[in-house]
Amino acid sequence: MSEIAAAGVRPEWRSRPGAGAEAARAVPDARRLLQLVLAGLWLLDGVLQYQAFMFSRGFSDMLAGTASGNPGVVASPITWDAALVGHHLVLLNAIFATIQLLLGIGIAWRPTVRVALAASIAWSLGVWWFGEGLGMVLTGNASPVNGAPGAVILYALLAVLLWPADRPVPFPAPFATARALGVPVARALWLVLWLSLAYFALLPGNRAPQALHDMIAGLTDGEPGWLAALGRGAASTVAHQGLAASTVLAVALVIVAVGVYLPAPAARGALVLAIVVAAVIWVFGEAFGEIMTGGATDPSSGPLLALLALAYWPARAVVTPPARLVPPPVAAVGKGTAAS
Amino acid sequence: MIPSWILGIFAAIMIVVAAVSAARLVAARPWQHRTRPAALADIDVAHLLMAIAMAGMLVLGLRTLPGGAWEVVFGVMTAWFAYRVVRDAQVSGVRALAGGHCAPHLIHAGAMLYMFVAVSAPAAHGSDGTGGMGGGMSGMSGMGTLSLPFLSFLFALALVGYSIWDLDQLSGPGVTGHYSVAVAHVAPASGPADGTGVLTPWVATGGRIAMGVTMAFMLLIMI
Repeated sequence: MSEIAAAGVRPEWRSRPGAGAEAARAVPDARRLLQLVLAGLWLLDGVLQYQAFMFSRGFSDMLAGTASGNPGVVASPITWDAALVGHHLVLLNAIFATIQLLLGIGIAWRPTVRVALAASIAWSLGVWWFGEGLGMVLTGNASPVNGAPGAVILYALLAVLLWPADRPVPFPAPFATARALGVPVARALWLVLWLSLAYFALLPGNRAPQALHDMIAGLTDGEPGWLAALGRGAASTVAHQGLAASTVLAVALVIVAVGVYLPAPAARGALVLAIVVAAVIWVFGEAFGEIMTGGATDPSSGPLLALLALAYWPARAVVTPPARLVPPPVAAVGKGTAAS
Repeated sequence: MIPSWILGIFAAIMIVVAAVSAARLVAARPWQHRTRPAALADIDVAHLLMAIAMAGMLVLGLRTLPGGAWEVVFGVMTAWFAYRVVRDAQVSGVRALAGGHCAPHLIHAGAMLYMFVAVSAPAAHGSDGTGGMGGGMSGMSGMGTLSLPFLSFLFALALVGYSIWDLDQLSGPGVTGHYSVAVAHVAPASGPADGTGVLTPWVATGGRIAMGVTMAFMLLIMI
């Protein structure tokens, strides 16, 4: 535990090389673990981008499709980009895939973590516009159930939140993301994200009686039988219940949004709710990002929302020794090790 | 269809991994050790065989054995690493599953076995009469698929996870990687625990990272 506590004081990527073999096997601190999950998602994205579908016209058509419904100033560059990709499909897609692969490797490789995180922010913003049509948030069709505000913008948000810097916050930091941005800014970003999801859930197009049903049922094509059956079951459950289902979802999202401002036990409850909502969205609303259809570019927003929730998980301030092993010495209170 | 030059690049990486693994075996001379020669050599043998098999799946011209033979090879390999993981778990508890050096190899071997067993022959071109391997090679170009795609996804996730973990450990302050744990247990008392030259632990870990990423790539493009 002492290594973990030390990591909380001094980030491991700043540690002196050759500090000892044991240090190499020490469990990374919470923020580093979250960075590694982010790296894994980028690596997965890179590998997915190499799929056969991405080298077909279907990919450029998919890009062009995101222009639909967006304002002209947003749509025109998307259309231009889709045409460019269509003309140089193999070369550009190979470059796209390799960039994402390198982002994952770069974040996982400690000496390059800052460069890779910075590059991932720039890349995410570009893909958010040219690849996801700004997550369709300007079209009136964005829904948290189908991935709004766009999975890739969540990568950028995570890169900012998990940036390897340390602001002066109480030790240990109340949660991992507070270390880079400070508590107020980190909480404000969380609030804005989840309130925006609640807002999207209540858009007229999403609360229509059959909106949620159609959204879920539309994902069953090409999925394995068991997943298609799950989707059909979920779709029939919410059939003609668009308003009620959207309202329930919006209420849950608002609870999640304000949850990080609550005391630690209640905040943990809100974060568990966030993970549950993310899981439900991922399984039923996104069909695991449609990865099993062979045409997915990423695992969609569900895993990223869950990762965000873990990034806000309240840290334990003090670990006290087990009561049965050590008598309760009053003087020892406060000398326990801290887990970051 | 995935361009053949991309498959060729991945196959070339696998050939390099196979060559390095062979060099490690020659340099380590495990057959000269009276005690636990299998434990000394199993990882490099696994890397060598998996890299050869994957190169053959990626590029037709690099094919060496029929699919049935590879199924037997990877079946035995999976059983061996399962045995090693159980033994590790008896010593280290469940931590062996996450941090032990055999668990990733169990996943690698299991993924290879799955790829050979679960691949379906492409409908358009039919079977080439050699079993799953023919389907596997065609699968690379988008014509063959793996049954149980969710299992393919899970394997890919695990492989990506171990690769990322290896990268982190390899670039950590000690720059030894947990591979050194394995070497320290089996290295001869007179020699350096971490090895030198091609026997340096990061060489093997680097090979494992390359194989993990390549295997995840193959699993996902065959969905």
